[in-house]
Parts: sequence; C-alpha cells; structure tokens
Amino acid sequence: MSTTTPVIDRLRARIGVDGAPVTAAVEAGHVSRFAAAIGDPNPRWTKEAPPTFLVALAPVALHLAEAEEYGKGWLNGGNRFEYFTPVLIGDHITATGQVADVYEKSGSTGNLLFIIFETRYVNQDGVVVAKLRGTMIRR
Amino acid sequence: MKVEVGHEIPALVKHPTTRQLVQYAGAQGDFYEIHYDQAYAQSVGLPGVILHGLLKAAFLGQLVTDWLGDRGTLKTFEVSYRGIDVPAQPYRCRGRVKRVDGPEVELEIWGENDEGQRTTVGTATVEIR
Repeated sequence: MSTTTPVIDRLRARIGVDGAPVTAAVEAGHVSRFAAAIGDPNPRWTKEAPPTFLVALAPVALHLAEAEEYGKGWLNGGNRFEYFTPVLIGDHITATGQVADVYEKSGSTGNLLFIIFETRYVNQDGVVVAKLRGTMIRR
Repeated sequence: MKVEVGHEIPALVKHPTTRQLVQYAGAQGDFYEIHYDQAYAQSVGLPGVILHGLLKAAFLGQLVTDWLGDRGTLKTFEVSYRGIDVPAQPYRCRGRVKRVDGPEVELEIWGENDEGQRTTVGTATVEIR
C-alpha cells in the first residue's frame, strides 16, 4: 500500500463525527466587505448576509487540514447550500462540520482524494439556518 | 417576473481582477496561494492565479438574488466547478427556468468564460411568495 493510506484511514474514521464547533458573529462590516469583494451592491446586504456569506464565518472544510498530507493541492469540486431562515446582521452563528465521505479515484494525472463534508449553521436561538455540503479534492 | 419554463433570466457579467481575488481572499478568509501568488499557482501546475470556486458561486448567487428581488426566498443553491477561470476575462452568469411546481421554481444556472464554456454549473430553487 502507498504511504498515503493512513491519512485516508484517519479521515474515514471521522465520517459522521462532528468536529469542534466554531461560533462567529455576523458583523455589518464583515458582510459589507464581503459584498464589496464579490461586487454585489444590493442594499439588502446591509441587513442580511448574501447566500454564500456563511463560508466566510468559519473555514469551509472544517478540520480537513490533515488531508494536506495527500497530493500537492486542493480543488473545490462543488458546494450545495440549503437555506431554512435568513442570516441577519447581528446573528451569532455556530458552524459544525463533519466528514460525510472519503474516497480515492484515479484520474488522468494521478490519484485524487475526494472528501465530502457537511457543515450545519445554527443561530443564537438554536435554529438551523442553513446547511452546506461540499466536495474538496486533493490532487 | 416571468416564471415560464425555458425563460432565461437576465445575465450578469462580472469582470474579475487580481485585485478582486485578493479582496475576496480577505473577505472569505481563504488564503490559499493559488488565488494571489502567480509563482505558487504555476508551481502546482496552474496557468497562473485562478478564481476561487466560491467567488464564482457568489457571482451566481447574485444572479439569482438580483432576479428574485423580494418576491421570494432562496431555498437551495448548488454549484459544481467544472473548469478553472482566470482574472482579466469576463465571467458571464446565466440562468434559465427549468421547472415550475406551484410556488417552487427551479433554475438551471451556469457561469461561462469568454469562449462560452460552462466552467460552473448548478441549480437554484426558490419559493415565490
């Protein structure tokens, strides 16, 4: 077996297990800088967070740093957001991530490691505001 | 707002720059070097710095929220990244009504580069009030 086997095993052992939660405030200045960075002047973003802002509250792929032992770089495969209630300026959001699946595939330029992660975002009232599912690839 | 199946929603053309990539890196807190360090990007086999997938997702998010306005709510938003995109080239975001089921509307959304290749594809579902 290759020397990369242990990192896959370690990630696989975490499937379905919540990582440490991260809590952050949705600050007006942060949302305003984010909206400016994406070039979206909608005045709505003075009260509410734009759809993808949640990724700025906590690292997208929480607790996946050890996957960097595999390959030489990251690719983002995709993201799926599910929204339940708007994220408003002043909210305190707790993000909790977990690994949903890990598998290796052979590609045209070598092996790839796919890590499917899920993060759920809960506000200060204990309401799940959104969920994010994503695919991060090590190549 | 037209919500007939097949109707194409107004396109949104973005003009990303290297400056915007740095701005976005700071705002998201994603400091992966492939988005601002040309030498690093080339060392991992890229042509140069590339757009963050999530920046392209944000562009497509704007496409949908601009179209929707306050007439409904975004329920799901899904994108797959099929190719890399570089700054200093226009990035065209487009969408089309794919399904209408009572108040629920599904849009096919995509982002295309200057050659018309769809480098990001996805789906958004909204609930019209």
